[in-house]
Amino acid sequence: MGKKMLNLEEQCKILNLLKSSSEQKSIEETVTDFFTNSKLRHFNVCYSLSLLLQDKMMLSSTERLVAFAILHRSYSSQKSAANPFISFLVNAACDDGAEKYERAFILQLLSSSNSNSSKEFLKQSASDYIKNFDPSSQNFPQREQLQKQYYEKVHPEPYSCLLQNTAVKNLLADPDVPCGCDANSAEDEALSGLIANLSLEGLIPHWIRPVPPRFPVDEELVWLNPDNSHELQWDQGMCADTSRGAAVRDLIAKALKGALAPNQQEQVLVELANDPKLVYHCGLTPRKLPELVENNPLIAVEVLTKLINSPEIAEYFTVLVNMDMSLHSMEVVNRLTTAVELPKEFVRMYITNCISSCENIKDKYMQNRLVRLVCVFLQSLIRNRIIDVKDLFIEVQAFCIEFSRIREAAGLFRLLKTLE
Amino acid sequence: MDSRDSSSAPDRDCSAGDDDGGLPVTAALAKEASLHFQSRKFADCVDVLNQLKVKKEGDPKVLHNIAIAEFFRDGCSDPKKLLEVLNNVKKRFEELAHASGAQVESGSSSGNKLTPDSKGSGTTIQQLSSDSASIIYTGEFDTSVASLNMAVIWFHLHEYSKALSILEPLYQNIEPIDETTALHICLLLLDVLLACLDASESADVLNYLEKAFGIGNVNQGDNGNTATHQSTNLVGKSSSVPSSPFVSDASNSDLAASVNASENPLSRTLSEDRLDEMFSTLDIGGQNLARPSGLASANDHPRITVDRSISGVDLKLKLQLYKVRFLLLTRNLKLAKREVKHAMNIARGRDSSMALLLKAQLEYTRGNHRKAIKLLMASSNRTDAAISSMFNNNLGCIYYKLGKYHTSAVFFSKALGICSSLQKEKPLKLLTFSQDKSLLITYNCGLQYLACGKPILAARCFQKACLIFYKRPLLWLRLAECCIMAVEKGLVKGSQSPSDRSEIRVNVIGKGRWRKLLIEYGISGNGHVDSVEKNDWALGCDEQPKLSLPLARQCLYNALHLLNCSDWSNSKSVLPSSLSLEESESNDGLSSKNPIHKKLPGINSMASTMLSGLVNSNGDLKEPKGGANLEIVQNSVSYYEDIRRRENQMIKQAILANLAYVELELDNPLKALPAALSLLELPGCSRIYIFLGHVYAAEALCLLNKPKEAAEHLAIYLSGDNNIELPFSQEDFEQWRVVKPVDCEEPNGGAAAAKNPSHEGLQESTFLKPEEARGMLYANLAAVSAIQGDLERAHHFVTQSLSLVPNSSEATMTAIYVDLMLGKSQEALSKLKHCSHVRFLPSSLQLNKSS
Repeated sequence: MGKKMLNLEEQCKILNLLKSSSEQKSIEETVTDFFTNSKLRHFNVCYSLSLLLQDKMMLSSTERLVAFAILHRSYSSQKSAANPFISFLVNAACDDGAEKYERAFILQLLSSSNSNSSKEFLKQSASDYIKNFDPSSQNFPQREQLQKQYYEKVHPEPYSCLLQNTAVKNLLADPDVPCGCDANSAEDEALSGLIANLSLEGLIPHWIRPVPPRFPVDEELVWLNPDNSHELQWDQGMCADTSRGAAVRDLIAKALKGALAPNQQEQVLVELANDPKLVYHCGLTPRKLPELVENNPLIAVEVLTKLINSPEIAEYFTVLVNMDMSLHSMEVVNRLTTAVELPKEFVRMYITNCISSCENIKDKYMQNRLVRLVCVFLQSLIRNRIIDVKDLFIEVQAFCIEFSRIREAAGLFRLLKTLE
Repeated sequence: MDSRDSSSAPDRDCSAGDDDGGLPVTAALAKEASLHFQSRKFADCVDVLNQLKVKKEGDPKVLHNIAIAEFFRDGCSDPKKLLEVLNNVKKRFEELAHASGAQVESGSSSGNKLTPDSKGSGTTIQQLSSDSASIIYTGEFDTSVASLNMAVIWFHLHEYSKALSILEPLYQNIEPIDETTALHICLLLLDVLLACLDASESADVLNYLEKAFGIGNVNQGDNGNTATHQSTNLVGKSSSVPSSPFVSDASNSDLAASVNASENPLSRTLSEDRLDEMFSTLDIGGQNLARPSGLASANDHPRITVDRSISGVDLKLKLQLYKVRFLLLTRNLKLAKREVKHAMNIARGRDSSMALLLKAQLEYTRGNHRKAIKLLMASSNRTDAAISSMFNNNLGCIYYKLGKYHTSAVFFSKALGICSSLQKEKPLKLLTFSQDKSLLITYNCGLQYLACGKPILAARCFQKACLIFYKRPLLWLRLAECCIMAVEKGLVKGSQSPSDRSEIRVNVIGKGRWRKLLIEYGISGNGHVDSVEKNDWALGCDEQPKLSLPLARQCLYNALHLLNCSDWSNSKSVLPSSLSLEESESNDGLSSKNPIHKKLPGINSMASTMLSGLVNSNGDLKEPKGGANLEIVQNSVSYYEDIRRRENQMIKQAILANLAYVELELDNPLKALPAALSLLELPGCSRIYIFLGHVYAAEALCLLNKPKEAAEHLAIYLSGDNNIELPFSQEDFEQWRVVKPVDCEEPNGGAAAAKNPSHEGLQESTFLKPEEARGMLYANLAAVSAIQGDLERAHHFVTQSLSLVPNSSEATMTAIYVDLMLGKSQEALSKLKHCSHVRFLPSSLQLNKSS
């Protein structure tokens, strides 16, 4: 069930309060009695009372006065503007349809918070107040004036949901007229029923909030296929004969220092061919490559060819490009170009380096030799379609012109012209 | 070099033994152990290995093999322990390698400093090489087998990301690894990647396998290919005889090398005549050497299969089956059909069960369920328990798709039952672990329970499956759906049953003249009310999750976060602008709780570096050989990525819609609004979700006191002043369901799936029909108008609404509200009395009794 505004104790308390209003007890006393119970939730009580007050038939005239007193006194320790029911009270005070004594009573209540003196009117009982009321003694100010007086500089209304603000009272009168003979007892019953069932919520326009649909199942179901049986592997390398690998490592180490004898060279090549993985642990690193190239170019070619898929091959190429130009390095590159596909960028860079080496060399004799070598190398590359002449045309042409005194350069130039 | 040799301890031992004639002893023992291992006499094997251990103390390879043999001897009972031992073995390897390698390394780097290179690039090279040296150890320090075995165990334990983290570095450095191990690594990696649904990397490994192992190229005689390589290998072996000393150099380029080799070896010294000789060599070479066209294959570097456990045809079949699985994964069904046929051909006369199973899966995916059942029946020998469990699961899938959820439930639970009996089986095999598919089947069960409207059971299934699927956004979405459904059905503490929810309660108070009606409606019990009054009756069991809306919200944030992560890694092309909102949204809710969060980027970045590395090492992709194949694979990958992107978009729509809904339910319009708005911003959003987005956004705005903006969201569906169009049509449902364009080349595929009734049925009934959605829009527009004070308009809309959705209690309530506001209390009363959802309650008399 929904939230009830009042618990049982509060309900009893209110009912007793309302009943006691007809007794000859001063209003002050009744109210003070009511507040001696600190467990009351003031707001809930006041709100319930305000709901009951809205229905003019529900409460007797004395009950109404006591209820108004409670609405006011519950919050009288604060400024009147802080009373959540201030607008309700002001509206009631200005309600032309209401009894005059009631309006006067509310006005007195409102003004009582300013001065202590005027609390006298609470010292009488509710019925006495009504009896003694003199309509001429009271003037009724305009609503605006009251609002100005009691709302003060109220903050704009504190945040609350608009839906709630627009709520309409969820109480409907549905009089069942034909059997309306036993009026009083029915009234009591209705009152206690109301008090028991009042809830904070009023009626509000209702929003329809659709539940989102379930996400469709498409490829989501898991179809199962048997796994491939991946078994644990025995390490075949255990106690394997590493002597041959060691021999090759020794030979490679020697090959870095000087040319190997033909039979040694053959041994290296045979072992490398026998074990395709040997090349990865023959002890060569990119840094050592230049020595190998200079001393044993053929082994270098073989090793590089086998390393072509290695992740390190790029480093080897970088070293090769950057090492000093020589017949051997050129021979290695030339053979590599026919054996494997070299990265275009590498070949290009190598040629550029060749050309600049020729230009920078001081010794005329050595220069001539290098230029002749480069020319033959380039011709070979061009004829084998390793390089596209277009990529390097200007560079190579300039090179030929610079060294046109050399026979091979002229030959290269002619070759370029035929390709043009 | 010398220093390295002297410092490598095992090598030293070995050669020392050699001198004493001890080498044959260890070698013989090793051989004996290996033979025992192969004949599965593991106790004997361990005995021999222990003898070996005495002779070669601390040799990690011996320790490794002991660990493996003992594991088998002890019945494969403790894979985690084996992992630990293997890890220690690996550390031992690394220590040894470091001890021997450190000197080389330090020597080289100091050498580098002393003799600076002429070109500046030398230093960077040094750095690079030393880096990579720390990763791979070759020769006697080769850890690849130990690593592979660790990955194998992780694979069998379904720990795919752990297996990947081992396998990917191995694969990146696959070249130095010996053929057998390399093949095992590739096959395992492929299985792991397929299990992870990683199409692009699977494609890569598949390509590599086909290239490196020379099998699977349809356009080229495979036999010829391997044969030539065998012959060159033979030449290499017998090359002690040949006349020319450099014939062996011919292994890859016979033609070129033979020409070159016929020349004298060049350039021992740079004498003038030698130089001339070189010139002539080059010239001759230049004239004769047209580059042989087949030479490109030298880059492919085909490997020769050394492994005798896998024969050529078997491997070929295996690769073909992988290919089919890959194509099925990428949903390239037409090609898959062709390739599975090819697989059947290869399998002729052999075990074709796997091929049949894949064919069944193909037909299942294509929506030919009857055919799939037939093939499934033909494929399996159901005597094997593991196979039988998978068989039942697959049947369950098919029946689910046929809309027969209860039949599918029977099959799923049968499959689960077999699984649990399988685990009790002795002796264990390692395979037993991986054959335990119970978590996967449990996931299917969850879907089936959800379809049957049993959210609590479903959630329990999803929670179990969480162990393996925690990275899938969809899992979290499903869990959220469970929560929402449970709350909706009133199965959860504090939630109301659907009938309670829609009920309008009227307290009849007093009698006669004093009779009053007190209307109560829509007091949702989720919030801050004192919980003492609620009775705890819904969830009994402790271990299951307490389904609730806050849990749903948490799940949805998880899903969103995972989705954004995968978006980010999958394609950078996805507009980040649309994500930024949810990113910030999800961060505050998630960052502390989610352990997944940190793992993801690492893996992704690794994958991407790996990918780029491969592109580099593979070099040119436009080789004539295998090019067509490669293209097909690449197309499949990009097609698949497209599908995944679309699927992720759909999931995202669902997540955001659910999120907006949940936030509204939790009285949190401030968070519901951005969710709804980003739903509306999604590109290619379904009209159904656009409708939901507008409705949720409007409600959130209304709750935030912005009725005007709220009205704007609803006014989108207004045509003219007072008429609302259908927000979506029946076709939108079809489109939304059949996400798959099914076949990239086969246009009929989509139609086939569309005419298939399986998707519809239960699902449809859970969501609004277009007309109802229209009625709902009217009702909400009425509510907004009422709040804005336009009661006449509200009256018009709510009347329209009640004609479309007469049973909606919300619309009735709005109508009553409007009547009351208009002062027509009699009309309100009559509406109340005619509404089907009203329950009149006699006023409680407890007060009188107690007082």
